[in-house]
Parts: sequence; C-alpha cells; structure tokens
Amino acid sequence: MSARKNLLGIALFAGLTLAAHAQVAVDPALPEYKPAEGVSGAIVSKGSDTMNNLMTLWAEGFKAIYPNITVEIEGKGSSTAPGALISGTANFGPMSRPMKQQEIDEFEKHFGYKPTQLSTSIDMLAVYVNKDNPIQGLTLPQVDAIFSKSRNLGYPQDLSRWGQLDLKGEWESAPIGLYGRNSASGTYGYFKEHTLGKGDFKDSVKEQPGSSSVVQGVASDRYAIGYSGIGYKTADVRAVPLALDASSPMVPAEPQNAYSGDYSLSRFLLLSVNYAPNSKIDPLRREFIRYIFSRQGQEAVLKDGYLPVSADVARQALQSVGIEPGF
Amino acid sequence: MSAAAPPTSSPSPPPRPAKARLPRQRRRASGPAVALLARGEPWVWLTGGTLTVCLAMIVGLMLLVLYQGLVTFWPQPVVRMQLADGRTLMGEVTRREADRSQAPAAEAPAPPSQPTAAADPHRDLLRTGNFELTGAHFAWVDEADVKQRSQPRWALVVERVEWGRFYGLPLAILQDSQPLADARNLEGPAQEDACRQIYTLFEQYHQQARAQRQRVTDLETHQIGQLSRQLEESRLTIRQAELRFGLNSPQHQQAAAEAQALRAGIDKQLADLREEIQTLKAQNARVQLLLATADGRTKSLPLADVVRLYPANQLTLAGKLKVYLSRWWEFVSAWPREANSEGGVFPAIYGTVLMTLLMSIAVVPFGVMAALYLREYARGGWIVSLVRIAINNLAGVPSIVFGVFGLGFFCYIVGAGIDQLLFAAQLPNPTFGKGGLLWASLTLALLTLPVVIVATEEALAAVPRSMREGSYACGASKWQTVRRIVLPRAMPGIMTGAILAMARGAGEVAPLMLVGAAKLAPELPADAAFPFLHPQRSFMHLGFHIYDLGFQSQNSEAAKPMVFTTTLLLILLVALLNITAIRLRSRLRRRFVGNQF
Repeated sequence: MSARKNLLGIALFAGLTLAAHAQVAVDPALPEYKPAEGVSGAIVSKGSDTMNNLMTLWAEGFKAIYPNITVEIEGKGSSTAPGALISGTANFGPMSRPMKQQEIDEFEKHFGYKPTQLSTSIDMLAVYVNKDNPIQGLTLPQVDAIFSKSRNLGYPQDLSRWGQLDLKGEWESAPIGLYGRNSASGTYGYFKEHTLGKGDFKDSVKEQPGSSSVVQGVASDRYAIGYSGIGYKTADVRAVPLALDASSPMVPAEPQNAYSGDYSLSRFLLLSVNYAPNSKIDPLRREFIRYIFSRQGQEAVLKDGYLPVSADVARQALQSVGIEPGF
Repeated sequence: MSAAAPPTSSPSPPPRPAKARLPRQRRRASGPAVALLARGEPWVWLTGGTLTVCLAMIVGLMLLVLYQGLVTFWPQPVVRMQLADGRTLMGEVTRREADRSQAPAAEAPAPPSQPTAAADPHRDLLRTGNFELTGAHFAWVDEADVKQRSQPRWALVVERVEWGRFYGLPLAILQDSQPLADARNLEGPAQEDACRQIYTLFEQYHQQARAQRQRVTDLETHQIGQLSRQLEESRLTIRQAELRFGLNSPQHQQAAAEAQALRAGIDKQLADLREEIQTLKAQNARVQLLLATADGRTKSLPLADVVRLYPANQLTLAGKLKVYLSRWWEFVSAWPREANSEGGVFPAIYGTVLMTLLMSIAVVPFGVMAALYLREYARGGWIVSLVRIAINNLAGVPSIVFGVFGLGFFCYIVGAGIDQLLFAAQLPNPTFGKGGLLWASLTLALLTLPVVIVATEEALAAVPRSMREGSYACGASKWQTVRRIVLPRAMPGIMTGAILAMARGAGEVAPLMLVGAAKLAPELPADAAFPFLHPQRSFMHLGFHIYDLGFQSQNSEAAKPMVFTTTLLLILLVALLNITAIRLRSRLRRRFVGNQF
C-alpha cells in the first residue's frame, strides 16, 4: 500500500482508494427476483436520511415490476421511523441504527410484540477530511477528542488544531472545522455512541440537514472534518483510515475491512417493520422485502455506494418476518 | 424629477442651522454644493443608487442561476489522460482548480523528486463515470501526473437508464452475440470505418429499442396498472363488506366469491401481459453495444438501456446544440431516475403548478370575502382593528409554523377523521390522514391569506366614495352596490393580491416538507384514472426537489449542476404563472376602462 502511495503522490489519494476498491459483488447465492401475483397498495417509508436514496432506488425498481403500487418516501432521520410505525403512518421504517430500548418498549406497549429489524445492507461510517488533507489516519480516541467535549475515550487533550495531530506547514496552525449531522439522524446517534463513548458533541460542530451536505461542507472547507455514510463519498473528500487505539493498525474504509469486521465503524442499515410473530405478512410487504434481498435489490445497494449483505444475512432477515427464503 | 423636488426639500436645510453659524451658512448657501443639496440632486442620486444596488443583486443572482443552469447540459469534449502511474482515465473535465496540495505533499513522506514543472500547478476534476466498474463517478487528476492528454476521436459518452454515465470506445455491436460490426483487432483507417459503422448501426437500432422500451413502460403503467387497480378495488370491496356486515357474513362471503371470480380473470390477463413484456424485453436484450473503457476493460450495454449516446469529440456546433436541446427536453418532460439524480423533473413541474393553482382557488375567494366583510360591512372599532393587526401579524409568521399547523390539523385531525368515515377499508394505510396535495394547497392558502386580504382591502378602499354614493342614490342596496360597482372597480387590485399570493406560494418549500411534498411520488396527483384529481396523493415539488438534490443526493458532484437547472426552471415557472395572471389583470382593466362613461 505505502509503496504505491509513494509512486502516486498524495494528491492522487482519492484516485488510489478508488483503484484499491476491489469490485464488490452481490453474493451469487442471492436469487433473481421473481414477480408474484396480487401485489398492490402503498409503500410508505419514513425514517433514515442515510437510506433515503437507497429506499428510493428499491422503490423505483419495485415499482417497475409492480406498476400500480404507490410509493412515498420520506427521510428526515432514523428517529422518525419508530413513531411512524407506531402511528401506522408508514409501513417501512428505514433506520441507520438499531432501535433504542425506549423505542422498542413504546412499540411493544402499542402492539404487544417487538418490532422486527431487517439488516438490509452494510454501511461504513466514514470520517471525511478534505482531499488535500495529508493526515494518514486517526485513532478513535483522537476522533473523540476532535468532536467531543467530554473525551470519554480518554484522549489526554482536546484537539482543535491540525498541528496537534503532527501536521506541518500551513496545517500546523489551522483550526479543525467540524461538520456533523443533526440530532434526529441515526448517523448522529451511532457516531455519538461508538466514537464519542456517549459523550457530548462540541458546540462548534456545524450540524447539517443531510449526509450529503456534510460531505459538501468538508469538500469546500479545506480544514474541515466530518462524518457521514460511505455512500456519500465524492472525489473532493477522503475517508480517513481509522484505528481502535494507538496500538492497533490503521484500517481504511474499504469493503473487505467492513466484511471482516476490522473497520470499527461499520454498521448494518436496518429496515424496521411491524410484524406480529408467526403471522402471515401481507403480500405487498412480503414482496418488497423479498425484492430487497434479491439480486436486483442488493445491486441497488451497490449502486448507492453501500455494501450488499451475504446470502446468510438475507436468509435470516427473510425468516425473521416469516418468509421462506427458498435459497 | 428634479423639477418636482425643490418645493419639498429646499425649505428644510436653511432654517435648521443655529443662529451663531449664520454668517458661515450664508457664505455656504451661495456655494454650488448647497445649491445642489437644495435642489435635491443628491437625493436623486442616493435613491437611484440604492435602486441600482438592489437591481445589481437581483440581476447578479439571476445571472448566476442562468449561467450555471444553462451551461450544465452543454456537451463537453472527452479527454483521455495517461497518468504517470500507468493508469488511464477518460471523461469530461468538469472543474479545474489551482493545486494547493503540492506544498504539504512535499513535506509528507512523499518523494521529493516529483517534478513540478508546470508554472501554475492545477488539477482537473474528471467525470469518469463507469460507476459499476470503478466505484466512483469523479476523480481528481493532478496536472503534474498527466503524461499524455488526448481526445480520442471515437470516445463515446453514453447516458444510461441505470448506473449513470459511461465513457468508452466502441468495439462492436452485437446481435445475439454475433457482431454486426466489429472494430476489434483493427488498426488505422479500417478501425475508423468500423467505428463509424458501429455508430450508424447504433443509431438505426436504437430508435427501435427505445420504442420497444417505451412500449414496455406503457404496458406496465397503463395495462397492468389498470388490472392491479381492479384487483385492489376487489380487495377493498371484500374488506368493506367485512367491516359492514362482519366476518363470514353472507354478504362478505358473496363479495369474496365475486372477487375470486374477478381475480381469476385478471390473473389470466396479467399473465398474458407479463409474457408480452418478457418477449419485448428479451428482444431488447438481443442487440448489445460492446464498449472498451480507457483502461481496457470491456462492457456490453443493451441498446434499450441507452438514453443517449454521442461521439463527444466529433460533434459539430449543430450536433452539440442537438444534444443540448435534447437534454433540456428530457429534463422537463421525463421522470426522474436513479433516486432523482438523473432524468427529468416533469412530475415536480406538474406538482408545483397543480398545487399553486389549487392554492389560488382556495385562497382567493376566502381572502376576498373576508376583506369585503372587513371593509364594507364591519363597523370600525377596536375589534376590527384587532382583526387587522392579527392578519398583518399572520403575514409575519414563519412558514414552517404553518407547516406544523397543517400537519397537526389537516393531516392528523381532519384527514384522520375523513379516513375513519370514508376510507375505513384501507386502514391502517392512511388515505387522507397523511400529507397530500389537498392539505399542502390548503396550508399554503392559509399562508398566503393575509396577502390577499390586505391587497383586496386596499383595492376596495381605493374605490371612490362618490361612486358608491351615486349607486345608493339610484336606489341600489348595499350588496348590489358592492357587487356591481365596487367589486369590478377593485378587481385589478384583487388580482394583484392573487398574483402576489401565487408567487409566494409557488416558491414556498418549508411547510410543504411536512404536508405532502415527497422525494419520489411515482403517480401524478392528477391523471387519466378516475376521479382524475387525486387530492390525497403526495406530490413532487420543484422547490423540494432543489433541496433534495442539494443536500441529499448520493452523487452530489453530479447533482450540483442539476440544482441550478431546477432553480432556473422554478424561477421560470413562477414568472410564467405571474405573467399569465398579470395579462388576465390587464385584460380586466381594459374591460373596465371600456365601461367607463
């Protein structure tokens, strides 16, 4: 890796990570989607903004097969999903984090059973810096010290200038600009829990309304750092390799590391549904879920920049809502 | 202007100075500066200057939107770059910037031998496309790393239905895997000929492939759509019977049996249609275009998946214009693809216009009647003043507050009530109990109500008292006077209010996000299916589309130019709506002038 980097020069780093992206493919065990009869009704999805495009892509593909279903997709943040499922205003709740105990309890109080969460795809939460930023990598305690005022992961000092991370030249005195998500976002919650040790964000974090605007903010602000899903990466930003702590190796945000579990901020993107255990799920939801876990559905995941799930995960997800996988 | 100014402004400067300074003042008064001040000339300049600054800001914004919006669809040449590390990239240069990465790179453990020969180091943002092969749409290329830069004659830009753009060189065109024209293993003029042949064949087959694809879409949306609607209806009848007469009651069983019979027939038709679609799709997959990427990989594309293909480096001005116009046409007439990042914005245009019209229909009669009462019937007093103050304050309430109100009141209270009463069979899927066209229009109507009321009141107040008195003198009642004398006179003013309301409503986005605008609404809120207008459906809106493209798009680099084109379109649309209303008003005015005697 480092030999190649020398050859290329830092300026081409974006291109390099791109070349190093081994082409991820959909698990060949996943079957082609076969249309079923009697599917009609409305797909109403409310929830994660990270999965907004993904839901749209799935809905577009599904709609091409069943032209007469109606689709509505709203993505204002994962926290809006449980409420929408409980009130019945949505039949799918995409979430970029697992439901909190409190949300599960609320749901259970209403329906008498727990909500079902399906792992539809894998996201790597990336820490982005501007493409010109020469930083080699960050440890999670460092990320914590950059974003949080509580420093629960125990980094000795607050990090507010790039010089404190051993960057030289113009970077030495440059202040670190912080970009993050608003608090309704599942990405916000996940980041807070996993990298800040449930600590508090600094007040100087510029909260953005969408994942894409975090990336755009980092792209236009040379000294900025931000976090967002890997699917929103552009050529203007670079995903920083992350290490668990100072003694462990830096792991770049690449598919193989997400699958192997080495990348510490990889997570499942979940789809919450209201499914009464051992009941028969209605045809519309059954077929949409089958579509998601088919070859076409997982190709859409790739198209959106995320990682498809393996056939095992798909099988498990289908079984959890009482669908016979058949593969 | 300056002739009218002296009487108002000249008396004020002389009396103001203190007595002690009188002599100096006198000396000055004879000076040209004071004379100038006295004539009011500087005030002309000040006011004129302010206007100019305002205009400059508006024009500047418009020019920015116009420029960015207009250049987006212009085809750029395709550049192939061979890099020092052996990679080859091909694509369109979308942006160029001064390279500031050199300095830190030299201090990092990077090689010091990097020859930075270029006088002004810069780098290009290359749109490389081919996302399914590379995992990225764009790449930055440093000028210093480019060994060779060329514009291959036959570099093709392919816009596809899925996966974004593809950049490649033609290799062959295949029918059932047999080459119709082949440029592989050829050199020089022979290759050139083969490429041209491929391109000609492509154009020939593409028409047909697209037509077949269109046919598939038609079958899917119309025919299958209709059948599925029938199925859904039959399901609802059963459910209704169940709700009304109870589960397993005779009526319910009868409905179920009828639906069963209907379903069998529909299933048969559906199967036939599916088969036809399969055949068409299979036919479409027969002809494929084989392309080579810049780094030598090959990719075959079914012709039906190609939206547009052109050899970018050979286009004449006319050819470029053709591509440009066809892209614009696609933009305004087609449906969005790929999570809104490609394709057109037709449903958003449609939704915006329809919503604005519905809003006007709701707000104008209400506003006019309220203003009529306030101005003509209500006795002046503290209550009326209070109402006026309240209306004026309403105009200052942030629009998102209206959105929250609309969601809470219209969707969750009124809508849910309607659902309970009329659409119980569909529950738990809400019909009216969620955001939709109707609720959005009503929310915006509420938002623009003060504009209409205030404008109408002014217009009514401007009708001369003598005319009303003349009317009363002739024996007309209050209502007759209002109806025949006052209202026609005030009509142009009322129309002005309506125009302002429309302009405000068409450009409003924040409340819509709560009460019905959706990222993707696959069905138009008004279409050919009975009952034609579907006020419960959510809809797409240009303003919301701009927000979505700007902040939510996965491929944000490619979406950015679309933000400008969409903005341009929204501005044009608002202008168009306004112009129509203004023409209507001037027509009314003319008619009114004709009636004068």
